[in-house]
Amino acid sequence: MATKEENQLSLLLDDLTALEEYIHDLFNFSPLPICFVSPVGVILEVNPAMEKVSGFKMDEIVGEPLEKVFKKEEIGSLARETIREGFVDGKELRFFPKGGEEVVVQVFTRTRKDEKGEVVGYFLSLFDLTGIKKTEAELKRIQTALLNILEDTEEARRKAEEEKDKTQAIITNFTDALFFFDKDHRLALMNPRAEIFFKIKKEKVIGESINRLYELPELRALIKFLGEGIEEVSRKEFPLTEDFILEVSVISMKRDSVDLGDLVVLHDVSREKMVEKLKTEFVSLSAHQLRTPLSAIKWSLMMILDGDLGVINKGQKDILEKTYQSNERMIALINDLLNLARIEEGKYALSLAPADIVKICQSIVDLSEESFKNKGIKLRFNKPAKKTIQVLVDEEKLKLVIQNLLDNAFKYTFKNGRVSLSLKEIDKGVRIEVKDTGMGIVGKEQKRVFSKFFRTNEAVLVEPAGSGLGLYMARNIIEGHGGEIGFISKVGQGTTFYFSLPKEKIAKA
Amino acid sequence: MKKILIIEDEEIMLDLIRRKMTSEGYEVIVARDGEEGLRLIKEGQPDLILLDLIMPKKDGFSVMAEVQKDEVSKKIPIIIVSNSGQPVELSRAKELGARDWLVKTEFDPRELVEKVRNILSEPIS
Repeated sequence: MATKEENQLSLLLDDLTALEEYIHDLFNFSPLPICFVSPVGVILEVNPAMEKVSGFKMDEIVGEPLEKVFKKEEIGSLARETIREGFVDGKELRFFPKGGEEVVVQVFTRTRKDEKGEVVGYFLSLFDLTGIKKTEAELKRIQTALLNILEDTEEARRKAEEEKDKTQAIITNFTDALFFFDKDHRLALMNPRAEIFFKIKKEKVIGESINRLYELPELRALIKFLGEGIEEVSRKEFPLTEDFILEVSVISMKRDSVDLGDLVVLHDVSREKMVEKLKTEFVSLSAHQLRTPLSAIKWSLMMILDGDLGVINKGQKDILEKTYQSNERMIALINDLLNLARIEEGKYALSLAPADIVKICQSIVDLSEESFKNKGIKLRFNKPAKKTIQVLVDEEKLKLVIQNLLDNAFKYTFKNGRVSLSLKEIDKGVRIEVKDTGMGIVGKEQKRVFSKFFRTNEAVLVEPAGSGLGLYMARNIIEGHGGEIGFISKVGQGTTFYFSLPKEKIAKA
Repeated sequence: MKKILIIEDEEIMLDLIRRKMTSEGYEVIVARDGEEGLRLIKEGQPDLILLDLIMPKKDGFSVMAEVQKDEVSKKIPIIIVSNSGQPVELSRAKELGARDWLVKTEFDPRELVEKVRNILSEPIS
């Protein structure tokens, strides 16, 4: 039978065994490499983590000095410090695993003493710094890279800033008014000139939508002119008030086919318009004034020639007839000037109405036939397949164009020549051609025939009278209808003038 | 003898037309402005009126507008004899009852006589 003491001792022994197992398990489990080292620096015990880190098996390393895995000079001071202080708390040392490269580790030590207080050795634990060192190096590299990027960015920013300042200066000092609408049609920018033109402060309007801007009386007219969609336009006239006329261009800004927004440029053309108007008024007035005495001369001459004022002799009659012709030329010139002034003034802007283009052509041919016959030129009208073709035109003005082209063909075609007027339906509308077998237009003069007051040298020789306004007016009128006018000509062979009137201008019959 | 009233402010034109019409055998009375013209339309009872448009005191359009108001006068045919011939003016004159239009620089006295003869030879409605 066991004594009470024996029982207690046995229980104590059980406890101790359990504790030893616990410590052993902990030692084995610890993910930190730990070894126990004798006071003279011989490795006495290692845990599996240490085996793993060092690459040595337990039997390869136990009994070996610490120099096996550390540098001698580094480990010596560590051992001394440990014995003296009882511990070392995180000293960075170089560690040399089996067959591998050195790694930097943090070393912790703590002495172990026996019951008498004698140092029997110390624990040594490693903390592998490679990962951290790596991360640190990586971080440093990233930091440097970032700094470089920052520097570059700063440089770029500075450049952009400079560029922006330049652009800003240009926009600010631009003599045209500028508006920029972003892709959502909100006003993103306007320059001081725009503020002056529209008498509005930009603080009041920047960032506002088209609809909101329309509500402002200062901008309503402009927004109405631009339309909700802000369509592209080129140099379109926009009268802000009666004597303040702007020319508007809208440019759709795109980069790599991405819509950035629309730039609206407004150029002040009031002065030009005023000068133009004055000139037109002057021409119109003088033409009227000139016509009155010319009528008086015409009628006087005609009556003398008719013998209404007594009999005249043949010599007198000849001279008076020539005078009469001169006067007629003067009248024609004044008429051209008057028509021109009217067209330029735009006061008799096209008054479109449905009309039969076949009938219009026929009426002009009928009127011209006799004079062509008298000069010995064959005039032919090539009618279209259809009996009538309805078009939406300003009949008066269109007649002026056709008459003019026929007159030219008449003037510059010689005896026995041929002139034809052709009318064709094309898919875009109608096309009218006046073809002659006349003298033709010299190549180098061709590009100027539509210019105001221009006459070719050859034309002047054949027909001294002529204002040089007919084709200029013709082009104005045809383009006013949305059509196109042009010609083909060869010296000595003849000229063909043609023009088209587009389909949308053609009324449904 | 048919009676023609010429309303024309320009002396030489007036003289020329008067001579022509007289030589053609018409009786001619003349007015040098719109107001005088209106008076003569009522008092002179012409068979035909040759009317200028741009005149002092009352222009041709005003003369026509007043003639339109008078049941007797409005039956008298009017030929416009003007220096101008713009489409807008033409259509306005037609609305106001003008029978014909003649632009001075485009026509001559002979053609005027023809127009007058044509109108006066029509049976009176």
